[in-house]
Amino acid sequence: MSDATLVVVAAAGLSAAAMGAVAPARVRVRAAALFTWAACGAAIVASLAVVSSGRPVALHTSRILPLTGVTFVLDPLGAVFVIATAAVAVAATIYWIGYASQGLSTRTAAAILPLFVTSMLLVPAAASVATFLWLWELMALTSMLLVLVDHRHSAHARSAAQWYGLMTHVGAAAILLALVMLATHAGGQSFAAIRAHAGHLSPLVRNIAFVLALVGFGSKAGMVPFHVWLPKAHPEAPSPASALMSGAMVNLGIYGIIRVADGLMGGGPSWWWLTVTALGIVSALFGALHAVTSTDLKRLLAYSTADNMGLVLIGVGASGLFAASHHLALASLAMVAALLLIVNHAAFKGSLFLAAGSVQVATGTRDLDRLGGLLRRMPVSGTIFLVGALAISGLPPLNGFVGEWLLFQSLLHGLPASNLAVDVAVPAAVSALALTGGLTAAAFVKAMGIGFLGRPRSPEAADATEVPPAMQLGAGLLAGACVVLGLAPMLVIPALTRATAVILPGVGRSLRGGVQLELTNAHGVVAPALLALSLALGVGVVVAGRRLLRRQIEVRRAEVWGCGRRLQTPRMQYTATSFAEPLQRVFDDVLRPDQDVEVSHRVESRYFVDSVAYRSTSEDALERSIYRPAVSGINWWGRQARLVQNGSVHRYLAFGLVTLVVILLVIT
Amino acid sequence: MSLRSVIHTLHRPGTATEALPAPIAGNVPDAAKSLSGSLALRHVDAGSCNGCELEISSAFGPVYDVERFGVRLVASPRHADAVLVTGPVTRNMSGPLVKTVDAMPQPRLVIALGDCARDCGMFRGGYGVEGAVGEVVPVDVSIPGCPPHPEVIIQALRGLTNR
Repeated sequence: MSDATLVVVAAAGLSAAAMGAVAPARVRVRAAALFTWAACGAAIVASLAVVSSGRPVALHTSRILPLTGVTFVLDPLGAVFVIATAAVAVAATIYWIGYASQGLSTRTAAAILPLFVTSMLLVPAAASVATFLWLWELMALTSMLLVLVDHRHSAHARSAAQWYGLMTHVGAAAILLALVMLATHAGGQSFAAIRAHAGHLSPLVRNIAFVLALVGFGSKAGMVPFHVWLPKAHPEAPSPASALMSGAMVNLGIYGIIRVADGLMGGGPSWWWLTVTALGIVSALFGALHAVTSTDLKRLLAYSTADNMGLVLIGVGASGLFAASHHLALASLAMVAALLLIVNHAAFKGSLFLAAGSVQVATGTRDLDRLGGLLRRMPVSGTIFLVGALAISGLPPLNGFVGEWLLFQSLLHGLPASNLAVDVAVPAAVSALALTGGLTAAAFVKAMGIGFLGRPRSPEAADATEVPPAMQLGAGLLAGACVVLGLAPMLVIPALTRATAVILPGVGRSLRGGVQLELTNAHGVVAPALLALSLALGVGVVVAGRRLLRRQIEVRRAEVWGCGRRLQTPRMQYTATSFAEPLQRVFDDVLRPDQDVEVSHRVESRYFVDSVAYRSTSEDALERSIYRPAVSGINWWGRQARLVQNGSVHRYLAFGLVTLVVILLVIT
Repeated sequence: MSLRSVIHTLHRPGTATEALPAPIAGNVPDAAKSLSGSLALRHVDAGSCNGCELEISSAFGPVYDVERFGVRLVASPRHADAVLVTGPVTRNMSGPLVKTVDAMPQPRLVIALGDCARDCGMFRGGYGVEGAVGEVVPVDVSIPGCPPHPEVIIQALRGLTNR
C-alpha cells in the first residue's frame, strides 16, 4: 500500500508544478498549493505508517532514470524528516496563497516552489546514489531559482543566488565524490549494497568519504565555515521560500550526515564525531553571535539557523562519540535529542520566517532599526513571532525547551567518561550550549523588543496593517505546533526513538512517559505540561496581585523621560544596533565590526558641527578572511588566463606558429 | 592614635569632620514629612555660574559629607524626591526644568539653591533669562547665598531629612 503513496507524492508534486506552470493567473497559486498539499498529505500518511510500524517501505522502478532506475526506501529515520518537511511545506504553501499578491506568483515561481517541496519530500526516501543525487540536485537548483525570484528588483538577490549556487554546488560535488567512492567500493549503487559492504572498506576510504560528506552536507546545513550563503540567501528569498529553506532544507543536510556516516558506513572512530561536535560548537556560537548583532530581521533568523544547526550537530556528534565509546544508551538519547531539535527547529524557524515575511509585506522593510510598535498594529503576526521567539530561546512551556533539556541531559550524563576525548568534548559542548542559549535569547529579545514593541521608528511601520488571513494561518499553524510539541513532546518521541533505532539497532527506548518525560537509562524527569500549568498559575498570581495593588496606587501618565530634551522622536528609542552594542564590544575579536564616525563642520567655524554620520557594519569575519581571499585568488587566476587568451586572432595564430615550430624542432 | 581611639572615632560619626550645622527649625513643607530621613536629589543647573555647583560638590565631599544625613544625588528625576535647582532659569533651560519636575514622582519638592535661583540675582533682566525658579516651577525650599556656604546647604537639607 505504502509504496503506492510514494508514487502519489511524486505525481501530486509534479501535477502541482504543472498547475503552477499552466493554470491561469487567477487560480494559479491556489491550484499549485492544493496539489502540493496532496503531495504533503500523501507523504505524511506514508511516513506515519512507517514510524508507527517501524517497517520501511520500498519502491523500485527502472522506467524513470535510464541505466540506474529509481530506488526509494522510506525508513523511520527518513520518515521523521519527511514529516517535518511536509509540515513546514503545508504551512508555507497556505502562507503562499496570501503572499501571492506580493510576488512569487509568476508562472515560473508557481511551478518551481512545488517542485522544490516535492524534491525535499523525496530526498529522505531516496535509497540509491543516483536517485539521491538526482533529487538533491533538483532541490538545490529549484531553491536557487527561488532565491533569484526577485532578481529584477534586487542586485542583492543576484549576488545571494551566486553565493548559494556556488556553495551548494561545491557541496554537491563533495557529496557526489563521497557517494560514488562508496558505491564503487561496494560494487553497487543502492544504499543497501553500500551498507552491506561497509565493514570491508579500508579506513582511508571511510575517512575520505566521511570528510567529503561532512563538507558537502555541512554546507547545506549551514555549518560554519560553510555557512556564508545562509545569511545572504535566506533574507533575499521570498518568505515562503526562506521558511522552506530554513525550516526544511537545512535539516536535510543533517539528514545526509546521519545517513552517510551512521546509516551507510555504520558509525566511525571518535575523531569523526569530535570533528562534528567541534564544528557544531563553532557553528552554534558563531551563528548566535551574529544573530545578536544583525539588524536585518531575516538575516538574524538566518544566522540563528546556523546556530540551531550547530546545536543539532553537537547532538549528532555526541551521539557518535558515545556510540564509539560503547555507551549505546546515551548515544541513543543524544540522537533523539538531535532529532527533536530538528523537528522543533522546523516548527519555530518556519513560523519565525513566515512572521518576518508578514512584517516585510506590511512595512516594506526588514531593517529592525526602522520597525517598532508592530505588536499593536499586527497583533496576530506579532503573537506568532513572540511564540516562535520564546520557543527558540528554549523557554518552557514551548518546544525549544524540551529539545535543549534533552541535549543537556544526554551531555551531562556522558560526563564521567573513561575516554579523554569525551572528557574534553562534553564540557566544552555543555558550556557552548549554555552560552548559545543566552546569546539566542538576547538576539530574540532584540528582535521582539525592537521590532514589535516600543513606538514605530518609520512611517512605514506606523502605517503597518495586519496581513491577509491566509498568511496568518500559515504562520500560526507552525506556532501552534511549537505549543503542542512543547506541552506534549511524547507525541513525537516514539517516532524519533524508532528513527534512532535505524542507526543504533538493538538499543531500547531512552525515554518513556506520558505527561512526564523520563529518561530510562539515566536519572532525569521533566513534565512540560505541569511546568506550563505552574507558569500559568504564577502569571495569574502576578496579574491578580498587580490589579489589587493598582487599585490603591494612583497612576499618573507622564511623558517618557528623555533628559529633558525638547525634540523627542521615536528614532531616539533604543535601537537594534544600540541593544547589541555591548555584546558587540565584548566579542570584538570574533565579530570584527567596522565602525566609522564622520563629522563635518560648518565653513564658518570648526566649532559648529554641520552633520555627524555614523556607520557600523558587522560583516561576516569568516567571509572576509576565508572567502574573499579565495574569490580574489580565483579572479587573479582568471586574469592570468586572460593574458594568454586575450581575444586577439593574431596572437592565437602566433601561438599556432610557435607550437608548430616547437613540434618541428622536437621531431627533428 | 591608638586602635581604641580609632574605633571610638568611627563609632561616633561626625567627630572626624566639621562641626554639625544645626538644622533650620520650622518651615518644613508637607511633602518632606513623608521622606522618613532619606532624600534623593536630582540637580538641575538652570543657568548657574557654577559657583553654587562648587559649593554643592563641597557639601557632598569628604569634609562636609552631607550623605551621612540621608541625602544623596541621583542620576534621573524618576529616582528623585527633590530637584535641586541652581542659577537663574535661562530660556534654554526653562523647558527642560519643567519637564524634569514633571517627570518626578509625587510627593516631590523643588529646592531653589542660591540667590540667582531665588530672585535671579545679578542676572535679573538679562536677555537670556526667563526668571527666577519660582517663576517657572513652584518652589518649596529656598537656600540663600551667593554662593551659599556648604554649611547653609547642609542646614537646609537636614531640615528636610530631619536627621
